Amino acid sequence: MPGHPDDAPLVVAAGEATGLRLTAVDARARALGLRPGEPLARARARLSTPLSVHPSDPEADAAALDRLCLWAKRYTPNVAAFGAAEARDGLFLDVAGSSHLFGGEAGLLADLARRLSANGVPARMALAGTPGCAFALARYGAGGLVPAGGEAAALRDRPVLALRIEPEMAVTLGRLGLRRIGELMDAPRAPLARRFGEGLIRRLDQALGHRPEPLVPLDEPAALGAARGFLDPIGHQAVIVATAARLMETLAPRLEAAGLGARALRLTLHRVDGVIRTLALALSEPTRCSVQVGRLLDLRLDRLGPALDAGFGFETVRLDVVGTGPITARQVDFSGGGRAAASASGLADALRQRLGRGILRLAPHASHVPERAEAVEPWRVTRVAPHHPVRAGTGLLRPLVLLTRSEAAEDMLAPDGPPQRFRWRRRLHRVAHADGPERIAGEWWSGATPTRDYYVVEDEAGRRLWVYRQAPLPMQPPIPAQTLTPSQAAGWFIHGMFA
Amino acid sequence: MTPTPPARRPDAAPREGGDVSTRLAALRARVALHDGQAAPRKILSFGVHAVDGRLPGGGLGLGHLHEVAPEAEGDEAAALGFALALVARRLAEVAGDALLVIARGHPMPYGHGLAGLGLDPGRLLLFEAASDTDAYRALEEALRAGGLSGEGLASGAGGLAAVAGLVDAGLPLTQSRRLHLAGGRTNGLLLVLRPAGADSPNVAATRWRIAAGKALRDRFGCIERPCWRVRLDRCRNGRTGDWLLEWDHAAHRFGLAGALAGHPPEAGAVGPHAGPS
Repeated sequence: MPGHPDDAPLVVAAGEATGLRLTAVDARARALGLRPGEPLARARARLSTPLSVHPSDPEADAAALDRLCLWAKRYTPNVAAFGAAEARDGLFLDVAGSSHLFGGEAGLLADLARRLSANGVPARMALAGTPGCAFALARYGAGGLVPAGGEAAALRDRPVLALRIEPEMAVTLGRLGLRRIGELMDAPRAPLARRFGEGLIRRLDQALGHRPEPLVPLDEPAALGAARGFLDPIGHQAVIVATAARLMETLAPRLEAAGLGARALRLTLHRVDGVIRTLALALSEPTRCSVQVGRLLDLRLDRLGPALDAGFGFETVRLDVVGTGPITARQVDFSGGGRAAASASGLADALRQRLGRGILRLAPHASHVPERAEAVEPWRVTRVAPHHPVRAGTGLLRPLVLLTRSEAAEDMLAPDGPPQRFRWRRRLHRVAHADGPERIAGEWWSGATPTRDYYVVEDEAGRRLWVYRQAPLPMQPPIPAQTLTPSQAAGWFIHGMFA
Repeated sequence: MTPTPPARRPDAAPREGGDVSTRLAALRARVALHDGQAAPRKILSFGVHAVDGRLPGGGLGLGHLHEVAPEAEGDEAAALGFALALVARRLAEVAGDALLVIARGHPMPYGHGLAGLGLDPGRLLLFEAASDTDAYRALEEALRAGGLSGEGLASGAGGLAAVAGLVDAGLPLTQSRRLHLAGGRTNGLLLVLRPAGADSPNVAATRWRIAAGKALRDRFGCIERPCWRVRLDRCRNGRTGDWLLEWDHAAHRFGLAGALAGHPPEAGAVGPHAGPS
């Protein structure tokens, strides 16, 4: 900013209804007494030093936190970013089972602190038996290492706000004299639960380890994985695809031994400058075929195009199997029925990777009302395809195309029976032949759909349409006639077209 | 020792001997050779002599691109019906599924109506494309899908039995050529349905124009079978024509709607005609 020295205290402000407020402050601003939440105008008024103010950008914050989470996966695969309750400004690492790789828990904390400060990321960290306790110590305490079973002692002197409860609740608790977590622990639980709801008790139990708190990991942990590093970074699409196919080949025997196939895969590309790109591949059916995986990835990279942004190249390619499913031997009959399903699932996967959309199919529903008798749903691998009841021979014809909304017929001439002439989509149809009526009654159990009388009409050119007249509901109050166009009042609609 | 005639090119037509039909067949084979594609391995016959006789090989060539268009605005449903009737006929002959690619803005077919047309909706896969470009990509992908599962060409059973696309504009030359090349490796029926009045030069093997026709009545005077005015506008290595065709949804068979109502005449030659080779 012009006129501000580079070492001016830095603050981030966001606009609210009452004006700009500080959302974050750096160490120098904190030393001057500035705190997040203060109005910017007041901070400027009471300080004589110039401030360097930056607008807040929550999306960039979230992206930066995601990048940090990806980086932190060097310590453990199970990394979760702070959610809304934790103000989205930190991350949990579940280091159970991986701390010994870094010289124990203390060694891990020291290593993490050293690497973060080397990268210029100021951080406060705590390691405890529960996420709640670690959060409370990092945010409202000195941090550090809590020995196993020492959660209650460590939390006793922390303020109740450290339990990740709403500030209003903390204020109310303070009025009752419950300012420290230790006082909450000693208070009788039943009145607390009655007064403040289940949430407070749950947070307290989670912090103390009496109740589990599952973390929502950044991405689901992988069942299997393989990685390959390169001395010379790669950036060409064909090389990435070939590498992924090679990795799948190394994974296939392990999958085969377990009788499984990959249903969902994740390809992680580590760029030279530390940026990590992940691509998710989902499959309709479990597979172990490296050719298929390579081809799907090729299609996906085709779709991404320059958005992949290889930069100076990728130095590590990692393929993880995120979801698995059993592969069962399939009987191929002489007519090739088994193969047809296989090719359809391959096509579904290819289209999803290439164009980002899945295959659909028509599924019948048990209803007499035409628009409810069918739904378009995503295609899935099933043994039994949905079966449409065949109406052929019953004389009840159904149109080839059903309009999503029935359209009003204008200038309808239908004296007392089937229509004789009407206008639809600016074209005059003179009816040469009409079949009907076929009465389709509304479903009284699901809303008031009126009864309709359907006619199959054929005009002089031979175009066949499905036309219905809406019968008035006997128990419905009549709609005022002036709000409707004449043809709507008569209740004639076009609902479909025949082949 | 008689002097031997100079060696002929292997694809040269025999000049002497044989009757007219064999010479004609040889000539046709030679033209097809220059077309960049061998004579159609397989065909989908209409089951109607009058139509099949005009088509090269006695039916629609499978793996070739065929273009279907409505005759005028308002005939879209008829054209869709004709195309889906062809798909139904193909599905009745072989196992496998059919894919219908629908560009944005076109209505979805109605499953109960499809069942009435003799096309099992359970065997019809739908793909809704965001644009024409995406629709052509999806069609190409579908033609390649047979090769993916590794049983496309060898057995002829892999892949899709039929692929049809509904597009928003005319069939452009580039896209038609790409589809033609991709389709050459498959045995599926390949149709592109485009709107009326969007003619553009392309490499489709045939072009059909469909208009609605008066439906066939049953003995009670009710509408029984759909009927279309079918015009074969363009036919590579064949002849054009104009017919009134009806569709029997139960037998999956076309028929000439003749003068006698209710009696499909000349539909006698049942079953697919044998290919040329």
